[in-house]
Amino acid sequence: MKIQVGRNELLTALQAVVGVVERRQTLPVLANFLLEAKEDELIVTGTDLEMELIARATVQNLSPGKVTVPARKLFDICRGLPEGAEITLESGADRVTLKSGKSRFSLSALKADEFPAMGAVTGGRALVLKRTELKGLLEKTQFAMAQQDVRYYLNGLLIDGNAKRLRAVATDGHRLAFSEHVGDTGLTESVQAILPRKSVLELSRLLDNSDAEIRLVIGQGQVQIDIDVVRLTTKTIDGRFPDYERVIPEHGDKRVVADREILRKSLARTAILSNEKFRGVRLQLSEGSLKLQTHNPEHEEAEEEVEVGYAGGALEIGFNVNYLLDALGAIPGAEIVLELKNSDSSGLVYQSGDPSSKYVIMPMRL
Amino acid sequence: MRKIIHVDMDAFYASVEQRDDPSLRGRPVVVAWRGNRSVVCAASYEARKFGIRSAMPAVRAERLCPDAVFVPPDFTRYRAVSRAVREIFLRHTEHVEPLSLDEAYLDVTENLTGLPSATAVAQTIRAEIREELQLTASAGVAPNKFLAKLASDWKKPDGLFVIRPEQAQALIAPLPVGRVPGVGQVMERRLATLGLVRIGDLAVAEPDQLHRHFGRYGKRLHELAHGIDENPVSSDRARISVSAEDTFENDLPLSELEPHIRRMAARTWQAARKMDRAARTVVLKLKTSEFRILTRSITLTTAADSEQTLADRAVGLLARVELPDSVRYRLVGVGLSGFEAPSEAPLQPGLFSEQDASPED
Repeated sequence: MKIQVGRNELLTALQAVVGVVERRQTLPVLANFLLEAKEDELIVTGTDLEMELIARATVQNLSPGKVTVPARKLFDICRGLPEGAEITLESGADRVTLKSGKSRFSLSALKADEFPAMGAVTGGRALVLKRTELKGLLEKTQFAMAQQDVRYYLNGLLIDGNAKRLRAVATDGHRLAFSEHVGDTGLTESVQAILPRKSVLELSRLLDNSDAEIRLVIGQGQVQIDIDVVRLTTKTIDGRFPDYERVIPEHGDKRVVADREILRKSLARTAILSNEKFRGVRLQLSEGSLKLQTHNPEHEEAEEEVEVGYAGGALEIGFNVNYLLDALGAIPGAEIVLELKNSDSSGLVYQSGDPSSKYVIMPMRL
Repeated sequence: MRKIIHVDMDAFYASVEQRDDPSLRGRPVVVAWRGNRSVVCAASYEARKFGIRSAMPAVRAERLCPDAVFVPPDFTRYRAVSRAVREIFLRHTEHVEPLSLDEAYLDVTENLTGLPSATAVAQTIRAEIREELQLTASAGVAPNKFLAKLASDWKKPDGLFVIRPEQAQALIAPLPVGRVPGVGQVMERRLATLGLVRIGDLAVAEPDQLHRHFGRYGKRLHELAHGIDENPVSSDRARISVSAEDTFENDLPLSELEPHIRRMAARTWQAARKMDRAARTVVLKLKTSEFRILTRSITLTTAADSEQTLADRAVGLLARVELPDSVRYRLVGVGLSGFEAPSEAPLQPGLFSEQDASPED
């Protein structure tokens, strides 16, 4: 294989893919990119066996072929070269040589046929929507995904779609984030898939807020998405996602309307003196007022009072302050609604007038 | 003045073995692993007649009584029985300080059942242990922990002894100094070289002399010898279970118990909420018209997070009662135990309550 390519062109492709390469691998070849020169394209593939990212760059193909090279090293070299530099990549027996101007690098290579490729997803059901729509769904929910929970199906995000709507749902078992996009999806039947946490984070990084349409193909155990010249293929989590509809509370009779930014800042300040491990904040509601209180094992205390729209009678309830902050951070609008029933039941947070995204938070007994 | 009870189960492990295996009753039973280096964990009173004692090498025990039955210890079972004993204590006071599986201090200066005296509480506890667990316990009643522990040994086994404050010094004076907690063989020898052999000798010894030889512990020795011990009963893990139970006016069949279980669950949940910590074990208690007591329990993977969970789990335990349909019940109780240490966390219940549970019992 021998190619010539502009540094910026190559770097863009490597940048799209490098995120999947883990710093520590179970197989040596997983530390490498697969480079394949085909017609006037260089195809760069990275994988961690659960997710595969493929990017394409336009190159001058002098000799077709494929090889694998250490991913991070190639990425770091390429990034370090001056903008606009021209790069020549050539594979030898067990080496890949990179030349650019007066720089020359010889990288060790592994055989391309050792590289595990996931292949195309076939026979799946396709979902078509705008990039900005999918990105919105992910950004409004992904923070609630569990991390390394034994309930492995929570370490991801549920995509739940039918012809008329697409939902994203994430939960760590204590709080849940739900977001729905209503509109034609191109689906002819309902589909559900749990995308693994890492794939969700990569996907959300790759998406921009453009109106360009993307296709998401949901196949058996795999999901594939093409975004421009990048293709993301991920295994899905094989497990039953909890019945999320059951835990989204019916409208509670105690309804608090608050300015999102004022409440968020008050919470952020009181959070400073909450217990660092448990993060509890006490909410005391009375007519027109919401008091926030925290304290920590050092007996430091914080108290804030926020003016709110509330007429539901006195109520005291505890929450993990991070869960509230996460929810408020994911809501774009200026005004939020917090619906409560009693101190033992979950609270529901959403943007005033727009319940398309909802956040359910279990209270904490403080 | 405080009222302290020390309860000591008689030959605990051996008695549990004899209770659970009738063929062992009346025979010398030694609880010990087989092996040259193993020691006796417990010996039944029949075995003690041969001179067998706890902590003696098992080989020696075998020589002393070749006919003894050796049983390997089963601590899971002893722990379960120990928990049941503790449940009985907790009916009478929150202030229980377990010392080990088979003994505990109770502060009954105020008791929960309205019994008129500490002696009455101790008698009731011993009766309840005998009735409900078919085991015997000895108890000592005194104004402090030190004297209570000496007292429980006085009429062992299956006895009760009360040391009143005014009798204390006279009663303990003739006892060897080795009976004072903290005085082991080495200390006993050192005291003997000073001519201090009995507790009474310590009482009349010069406090300065004791202090010179034993530092701060000398002061404590002097106090103890005068029957003074201010150490409180420290129920660090303040309460280990919460429960509510109710006896019906008319005995009921199993199929009619559910509403009562839910009623008791509500009461237990109210009480548990006050404790401000999470509990994982749900216990259902039933008493038949023949006064047979059954308990069934289930330990959840995460703490019971609502009255609903508690009630549902308790009702679910009914399925594990395998008595004939003809049996009638006079009492139901619902309890929560397995409380997490208070430092662990404020309770953060989960969204999804269908958590897996592992059965116990």
